[in-house]
Parts: sequence; structure tokens; C-alpha cells
Amino acid sequence: MDTLLLARLQFATTTSIHFLFVAVTLGLVTLLVGMQTAWFVTGNPQWERLTRFWGQLYVINYVLGIATGIVLEFQFGLNWSGLSRYVGNVFGAPLAIETLVAFFLESTFLGMWIFGWHRLRRGVHLALLWGVALTAYASAFWIMVANAWLQHPVGYELRDGVAQLTDFGALLTNPTLGMALGHVIAASLLTGGMLMASVSAWHLLRRTTDFALHRTSLRIGLVTAALAVTMVQGFGFAQFGPVGEFQPTKFGGGPTADAAVAEWTSRFGPGDYTPPALSSVGLGFMILIGFTLGCVWLLLPLLWRDLVIRLRFPLWLTLCALPLPFVAVLLGWLAREVGRQPWAAYGLLPTDRAVSDVDPSLMLASLIGFSLLLGTLAVTNWTLLARHAARGATDPALGRPPGVQDDEPRPTPAFA
Amino acid sequence: MALVWYALLGLFVAGYLVLAGYDYGVGLLLARRGTPATRRAGLTALGPFFLGNEVWLVAAVGILFGVFPTLEGELLSGYYPAVAGALVGVILVTAGVQQRSRPTGPAARRGWDRVIVVGSALAAFGWGALLAGLLQGLPIDADGHVAGQAHLATPFVAATGLALLTLVAAHGATFLTLRLPAADLPATARLARRLLVGALAAVATAAALGLLSDRVRAATRQPLPAVLLLVALVGALVAARAALRRGRPGVALAATSAALALPVALVGAALWPAVLVSTVDPAATVGVTDAAASGPTLRLLGWLLLPLLPALLGFQAMCWWVFRGRTDGRAPVYW
Repeated sequence: MDTLLLARLQFATTTSIHFLFVAVTLGLVTLLVGMQTAWFVTGNPQWERLTRFWGQLYVINYVLGIATGIVLEFQFGLNWSGLSRYVGNVFGAPLAIETLVAFFLESTFLGMWIFGWHRLRRGVHLALLWGVALTAYASAFWIMVANAWLQHPVGYELRDGVAQLTDFGALLTNPTLGMALGHVIAASLLTGGMLMASVSAWHLLRRTTDFALHRTSLRIGLVTAALAVTMVQGFGFAQFGPVGEFQPTKFGGGPTADAAVAEWTSRFGPGDYTPPALSSVGLGFMILIGFTLGCVWLLLPLLWRDLVIRLRFPLWLTLCALPLPFVAVLLGWLAREVGRQPWAAYGLLPTDRAVSDVDPSLMLASLIGFSLLLGTLAVTNWTLLARHAARGATDPALGRPPGVQDDEPRPTPAFA
Repeated sequence: MALVWYALLGLFVAGYLVLAGYDYGVGLLLARRGTPATRRAGLTALGPFFLGNEVWLVAAVGILFGVFPTLEGELLSGYYPAVAGALVGVILVTAGVQQRSRPTGPAARRGWDRVIVVGSALAAFGWGALLAGLLQGLPIDADGHVAGQAHLATPFVAATGLALLTLVAAHGATFLTLRLPAADLPATARLARRLLVGALAAVATAAALGLLSDRVRAATRQPLPAVLLLVALVGALVAARAALRRGRPGVALAATSAALALPVALVGAALWPAVLVSTVDPAATVGVTDAAASGPTLRLLGWLLLPLLPALLGFQAMCWWVFRGRTDGRAPVYW
């Protein structure tokens, strides 16, 4: 095992887990903003209950987003010190902006939002959630700026082998940024919407209490998913143009790919400059899933007179479709990242120069340790999420009035 | 310009150690025998501040990556075991605190409490080891290659790790004297004073081992400020103890906060103008200015981030202000 392969495996593992959680975070927070705003405007307590129930699931899910995000941030320095050495002048800037402008504020706001129920004025409390959502979107934007730069380095010049920033505007207008950002945001909304619809479908199938509440979230979830899946498809197919143009080796051979490989061979020496075929296979499956999820539009007419609930099989379909957006998100991400191999920064920095010069055994220990740690945490987190989703909206800890503790044991509803 | 950013980096690292320091301290105190209610009370005291504390680390690493990219790569990979160990600790604490009260069963909560204890210990020890590692330099060559990680296996590194562990424990207990209901004050203050004695002993041991270490003496560029800051650190701990005896928890917390910020200042001052001292090749030593990104990057980040700094600190201050005071029956409970 060489250090490079181990470092790549570790990055793939951490990013994959990270992405499964942040997609839900970004999707749910958008819907939460809508629900809490509706509560603020209408004063209808149903919206408060919806906000508390989905807010609690959102907050549980958020834990692993932070945990894996911190590991990712450190991994750049731990495992990929060449990245900071050769391209840190350019690539580091959007990451620094993301941590300070977006993530720092997001976490500060979220802490106040969680503990601000019954304590802050309702307007301030709502503003905090808006702050959480806006900074989450800003976070996605800056991370995608950084990622798009690795896909297609722009706005720099090489001095003594080190990339120097010359035009920051070029990073923001990177042709591999816009459509990809839209795609990622739409995918997150799709994931959040599907999660909401599926959990509510489960409750409606089991005829738990709170019919009205779950009916509302089922409708919100399905409509969101339908709108989002169309955006996902649009932004997805719109990427083939720029990606094919700027990453000629991504989708197999062709004259431009051969020319690029010839140029790289003269600059970096002979080597294998084609990405593993696996990434394109994954892309095919992702597109298939995208079309399958597009069928959610067929359920929308059934919202009329609650046919979607009364016929029951649409609920089963919705429930069974829950894994699909997660699988698609992973495959899409792998296609984007594996598809640019063997480059850390496309055509500029090969991964073998970007990887840290540390002992393979140390890298192996780190890979096993962090994968086990994050994997275990992910599984426990999903278990907690499932339990709380199943428990329903009777009394979520989030937003519970002060003075009530849950330390006393009390009967818990049976799960499944 | 690089100097301003270096100071800012120091501010965020020190801010992280001060703020997350009491998170880890309260986390360590969960190891004590106590009722579920007392354990929960400690976490409720952290409450709204917890999420805002840990992001100081993320911000510090962000500045490190954006402003000092060369330093970021060599520092983190050069001290791999210390950083990775601390990172595991940070992850365990962040997951443990946020998830421990989601199950209602006492056994599950006890399990998560243990996760928090282990995580807090790892995080404090790891960051202490990193600070000590910086003070004794590392065998890095001009290509950024570090010869193995055995350079971290010294008594000084272990002693400093332990010293930071005892420092955060005392800091956490002092934080609780200010936050828990007034009825708990005498008992918590007694605990904090005992822990402060332990911290003093641990800091003295680490300092003695550092003064005896050839590598630390060779790497230190500014011995006088380093010794003065060390004296200030000891002074802060003594002052904290005295303040607790006089029943002034606010002053005591300010003093223990200073005690956690001072090690960062000490490392920065002792090595100045270097940040990463090479023990094998003087030419490979990384200075503050050569570690910084080039002019355009610094100007861009300066224009974009420095004006926002008051807002960042302002929202943190808002959090402290809104949730100030002792926790009581009306305090929101979530963790």
C-alpha cells in the first residue's frame, strides 16, 4: 500500500460521509426556514410543532456534518500538504473565507437558535434561523468555489512552480462553478424533501397520531422533491458542456483528450492520465436514479383529495425511494472527484505531488482510525435520527419549555 | 501585513483554547461520580456556547490555510500524531455533547459521557503536545520532508500535554463556579482550587523539563519574553486560586482564561521570528513572513475578512450576553 492510495481512500471516505450529512443539512434548513417563517407570520401552532420536529432531526443530523467537516479541513494539511505548498496561495483563499464568513457564523447562530426558544423574541429567533440558512448556503458556495478551482484552475500564474493568485474574479466566474453549485443545492433540496416525505409517509402508513402534521410535511416534501429533481436534472445536464470542454479526459478518449495527455506527458513525464472507468459507470447509475426520482411528479396530482395517502401505495413508493437520493449524491460526487484523476488540481498538480510525505504505516493507521470513528458515528447518528423520526412530534427536546426535564424515565413508544 | 495575520491567527488559536478549553474541562469533569442530574447540569452550563466555541478551531485552521499555506501543510503533517490525536478528541467531544441527551436511557447517556471524557482528554493532551512540539522544533528538511514522527516522543511533549489537560480541567471547574446555580458555588470552588494546584504542579513540571531540554533551548529565539510569559502563566493560576478563595468566580475565570491563552503567546514569542524551527537544517526553518501567502492573496483576504471581524466577534458576544448569568430552573436544556 502506498501513501498516495491510502490518502485518496481516506479523502474519499471522509468526503462521502460528509456529503451524506451536509446534503440533508442544506435541504432541511431551507424547509425549516419556510416553516418557522410561516409560524411567525400566521401564528399557527401547527407550524411551531413542524419546526420543532424537523428542527430536532436537522440538529441531530448537523452533528456529523460538523464532525466530518472538521476532519476534512485538517486532512488538507495532514495528508495533502503538497496542496498547500504548491497551490495554497489560490486554493486556500476560498477555504479561509468559508470558515470565517460562513461556518463560524453558522455554528454561532445555530447554538443561539437551539437554546433561544422561549428565551429570545420570536423575530430574533426567526432571524437566527435565517442566518443559519444563509451562512449554510454561503458555505456551499465557497466550498464549491474551491472545488471548482481544483476541477479547472483559473486566475493564477506559476512562479517557481508555485501558483500565485492573479485574478480572484476568475475563481468566482469559473465555468465549472455555476452549474455544479446549482446541481449540488438542488440535490440537497431533493434529499431534504425526500427525507421529509418518506418519514411522514412512514407515520401515515402506520397511522400514528398527528395525521394533520404528517400530511402537511408529506405535501411539502413531495412538492420540494419534485421541483428539486427537475433542477437537479437541468443543472446536471448543463454541466456536460463545460466539463467536457475543460476536462477532456473525463468521459474517455477523443482528439482533445489525446492532445491534453500529450501535453501533460511533455510537462510532467509519461504516466497514466486517464481516470478510472468506474467513475463513468457511477455517473450512469446516478443519471438513472435521477430519472427514477423524476417520477415524483406523477405523485403530485394525487395530492388532490389526499389520494396519495388514501391509496397507500404512493406512500410505500415514497418510503422505498428514500435511499435513492443518498446513493445518487454519492455517485455524483465520486464521478466529479474520481473523474479528474490523477490530478489534485486539473492539469496543474498531480496527486502524487500533492500527497504528504509521511510514512505509509502512519497513513494506514490514520485511514483505519478515522474511517472507523466516522463510520461508527455515522451509524449511531442515523440510528438516533431513525428513533427520533419514529417517535414523532409529540414532545421533541428541541424547543421544550423550560423547567421540563427528560431525565426521568418514562414510557417510550415502540420503534418499528 | 503578515504580522497582523499572525497576530490574528494567534487570537483565534488562543480564543479556541480558552473557549473550547472550558468545554473540555467540563467534559473531563463528567468522569467524576455524580448523579445524572449533576452531569446534565454541567452540560446545560455549556449549553448555548458549545457550538460557538469549537468553531474557533475551524476559523484558526482556515486562517492557517488561507494566509499561511506553507505553514499549514508542514505543521499539520510534521506533527501528524499530535494533530490527529487532538482531532479525534475534538470529534468525540463534538459528537458526544450534542448526542448524549438524545437517547433517554441512563445507560446510553452514561456511555456518551465516557465518550466525552475520553475526547476531552485526547483533545487537551493533543493540543498540548503540539505546542510542546513547536517549542522543541522538528527534523524537517528544505523540501518539507520530516524524518519520522519519533521527534514527538520526549518527556517534555508528554508533560506539556498533561499540563494542558490539568489546565483545561481547572478552567472548566472555574467556569462552572460562574455558571452553575449559586447553591453549588462552594463545592465547585473547592474542586476548582484543588484542580488549580494540580495545574500549577503540571505546568511547573513541563516548564522544568522544557528548560532542561537541549532542543527547546536551541529552538528558542527569544528566551526573555518566553520566561516572562511563563511567569505570567504561573501568576494567572495563583491569581485564579486567590480569587476563588475570595469568592470572585468572574475574576477567577478571567485568570484561568489568561492561563490558557498565554501558552499560545509563549510559543509565538519564544520562536519569533520563526514559526517552525528545523532541528536538522537551519535553512529549512520557516519564518512568519516566508510562511505567509503572497501579496495578492493577503490583500484579498485582508479586504474581505478584516472588515467582517467585528461582526464575527459581535455575534459571539451577543451569544454570551443573551445567555449570561447562572443557570437555574428556567435555563434551556438541550445537550
